Amino acid sequence: MAAIVRLSSVCGRGVKPLFYQTTLLARPLVVPHKYQEQPHQLTARIHASQALHAGSASKAASLHWTGERALSVLLLALGPVAYFHPVPIVDYSLAATLTLHGHWGLGQVLTDYVHGDTKIKMANAGLFLLSTVTFAGLCYFNYNDVGICKAVALLWSK
Amino acid sequence: MALLLRTLARQGVCLSRPHYSVFFRHAAPMGTTAKEEMNKFWARNAKLSRPMSPHLTIYKWSVPMMMSITFRGTGVGLSGAISAFALAALVLPGNYPHYLDLIHSLSVGPYLIGLAKIGLAFPVSFHTFNGIRHLCWDLGKGFRLPEVYRTGYTVIGLSIITSVAVAFFL
Repeated sequence: MAAIVRLSSVCGRGVKPLFYQTTLLARPLVVPHKYQEQPHQLTARIHASQALHAGSASKAASLHWTGERALSVLLLALGPVAYFHPVPIVDYSLAATLTLHGHWGLGQVLTDYVHGDTKIKMANAGLFLLSTVTFAGLCYFNYNDVGICKAVALLWSK
Repeated sequence: MALLLRTLARQGVCLSRPHYSVFFRHAAPMGTTAKEEMNKFWARNAKLSRPMSPHLTIYKWSVPMMMSITFRGTGVGLSGAISAFALAALVLPGNYPHYLDLIHSLSVGPYLIGLAKIGLAFPVSFHTFNGIRHLCWDLGKGFRLPEVYRTGYTVIGLSIITSVAVAFFL
């Protein structure tokens, strides 16, 4: 469901969704066949209606989705940076981005495969604990040991 | 697998012209959020005691599906490895070069070391390249089925070449 909604947002990118959002209100909900539009316009309108009625929870989910993608791009960019400039700030950036990327990724897996209110709460609490320990461990390693960039370089030099 | 479902759902939307009114009637009064829809779906699944979804054993295996599973598998594996590394950094008494020397002192031979490096480099490169593929999908590009296969084989090829090159030539 979410995937289809997301897909439709991608299809209806640009100014079109804004246009349909305003026209939607003036139209009847059920339209005879001959007045209906092309498929991609239809999906754009579904998205627009979603955006009109959805509450803050849906907006937060959308923001989270965008955040995940932004973080992935950041992590992609950090790879070459770490290779050419293995400095402490990159070590700590890697610690933060790797932990958060893993946290959100594992969160997706839990959403898919853990069901039931209590189980979900326990799983999320466990994941939060794991991610906290991971971040603490990586920061400790950056502070007291050689740091993430140098650790990889040393491992590969052997 | 999710991708296949998504692609099919999309084709369904495009092909089902005669059923527009049905689809549209469902879509128009959409006051519910995705989360509410999902909760309804799970409540219904539980009531009818349907099997788990995404289901792992009922579909015919395909390359994109296996890549999807491997993508998730490598993600979980790498995340686990990072967590194990971080935990080790917290609890083990020695420092990193000490343990590295310890491993080196085992003198396991260059081939085993190369193999171990591939074992580390392949999950990283595969997850990276397939992650880029996913980001392209997120931009709405590459959804046609031939493209899905072509980019899939490209990702597999690039991952193998990169991991072998990184393991033996870097």
